[in-house]
Amino acid sequence: MNDLRVPIGIFFAIVGILLVTAPSARAPLTEVPVNLYAGSSMLLFGGAMLWLARRKS
Amino acid sequence: MRLEFIDYAILALYFVFVLAIGFMIRRRVQSSEDFLTSGRSVPVWITSLAFLAANLGAQEVVGMCASGAKYGLMTAHFYWLGAVPAMMFVGVFMMPFYYGSRARSVPEYLKLRFDEKTRVLNAASFAVMTVFSSGVSMYALGKLFQLVLGWDFTSSVFLSAAIVLAYTFLGGLTSAIYNEVLQFFLIVLGFAPLSILAVMKAGGWPGLASRLPPVMTHIWEYAGTSRDNPMGVEAFGLVAGLGFVLSFGYWCTDFLVVQRAMAANSMSAARRTPLVAAFPKMVIPFIVILPGIAAVALSHMNLGYALPPKDGGLDYDQALTTLMAKFYPSGLLGVGLTALMASFMSGMAGNVTAFNAVFTYDLYQGHIRRDAPDRHYLWVGRAATVGGVALSIAAAYLAQHYNNIMDVLQLVFSFVNAPLFATFLLGMFWKRSTGHGAFTGLLAGTAAAAATHGLTLAEGKGGWIATVHQFPSTMAQNFWIAIFAWSTCFVTTIAVSLATAPKPETELHGLVYGLTEIPHDPEEPWYRRPGPLAVIVGVALIILNIIFW
Repeated sequence: MNDLRVPIGIFFAIVGILLVTAPSARAPLTEVPVNLYAGSSMLLFGGAMLWLARRKS
Repeated sequence: MRLEFIDYAILALYFVFVLAIGFMIRRRVQSSEDFLTSGRSVPVWITSLAFLAANLGAQEVVGMCASGAKYGLMTAHFYWLGAVPAMMFVGVFMMPFYYGSRARSVPEYLKLRFDEKTRVLNAASFAVMTVFSSGVSMYALGKLFQLVLGWDFTSSVFLSAAIVLAYTFLGGLTSAIYNEVLQFFLIVLGFAPLSILAVMKAGGWPGLASRLPPVMTHIWEYAGTSRDNPMGVEAFGLVAGLGFVLSFGYWCTDFLVVQRAMAANSMSAARRTPLVAAFPKMVIPFIVILPGIAAVALSHMNLGYALPPKDGGLDYDQALTTLMAKFYPSGLLGVGLTALMASFMSGMAGNVTAFNAVFTYDLYQGHIRRDAPDRHYLWVGRAATVGGVALSIAAAYLAQHYNNIMDVLQLVFSFVNAPLFATFLLGMFWKRSTGHGAFTGLLAGTAAAAATHGLTLAEGKGGWIATVHQFPSTMAQNFWIAIFAWSTCFVTTIAVSLATAPKPETELHGLVYGLTEIPHDPEEPWYRRPGPLAVIVGVALIILNIIFW
């Protein structure tokens, strides 16, 4: 495993899944489901990294 | 601020990954050059993100947010006037000499170009400085976590230092660089939501602009005279001091960042490293400065948010963490804190890996043991890594107990750094400049910096010789110290060079403009050539400056 995109992709995919599936906590100053949005973008980013790494190999 | 299980889980996951990357790289390290210079093997997308991340330490992130709250958008000058033009210059004009000389460090370039004493002056001050600055940022991190989370100072300092030590010890520079890329993405993805949420809450950009005095949302409009802006600077000091001397001095000569570009796998990649890095660099103010500006607007809105008070004013350094507490629910809060930890680690690993290379090649191999087998230098490099981390921890405790000493030391370092860019500029572009000239110029520049500080007063700082001038702010004072130091070094180096014997031209090939073949790679597509990239960066930069004028 020498392609840096693999560990980065896995890391953000895991963090993304953790955030998306986390019990819906609310922050004091916002009504936006922050965890859901940030989590899905990280999942997407992680997935894109893994896809790029896979495409190359 | 209270953390839940999920926040700790994310932080722990991050620790596992940085260590895993260290182990993954470990097998690649066979020689001292693999360990200390990455064996010139790293692809350009990685070196350019590492180039940014090594500078994006926790102090930078927290400090830029604080300056955003204190000075407003003018803080972006550190990026749009300072860093980016300097990055264009180092990529297009200077990297051919750094990379082409095959020097393994910036001080080693000085040795090849000038002489041994110039190298030692630069190497020794750099080595001491990196250790202290990593200690100071470690102290800042320990204090921040103590304040915000109630974590024990000693535990957070030792835990973070141990992890940085582990991965830099295992994989050396490559491991530090690879982790900096992970850290860079974490910093961006961890802080960007904060910026978006805070600005949205304040009513978007129009809302921000209507709630704040106009000086907070413009970069040039109020820069004409020092009375008109909270920075207390005027356009000339800003452009010459920050935009030219300080920024070019840092981005073009500081081995911490230049080392990342020198690790690239080809000359073309080394030159493109700062240019590719310039694109994200231009966007970073929106992530780190904007939340600070939004924090001020939010405090005027009766939302139950206010910047905490400190010594009769406001504690701007807490802008970032107080916003996180208000906008991040547990989960993303863990990501935000992990991003803060990551920014600290990228800065510290940057310092440690620059320190061990300079110590091993410039001080140890240059002066203690010259002709040992490479295995020995690999060993010394690893030992210097451990030593660098240990000294950083010691410096963190020194900062905790003797804050004044650290202030004095940082001041002295700023005097030493201020003239550096004049030396490199003359060294690379004027073949007549000599070692004696460079050395005297550096000393004279440092003396001029100290004298300027001693003769001027700003916010109660300086003036320890006499007061011949008062600056409206310490920032203006710093810019002018830099201007005087640079000019003195520039003039002295020229004068002494003309009076001393030049280095024979045969010894200057690959080191000076005019005696070095500048690569043009015409067969490469335009987006892989430094010139066109620099033009695009320049145009984007001008557009940004006009939009936020």
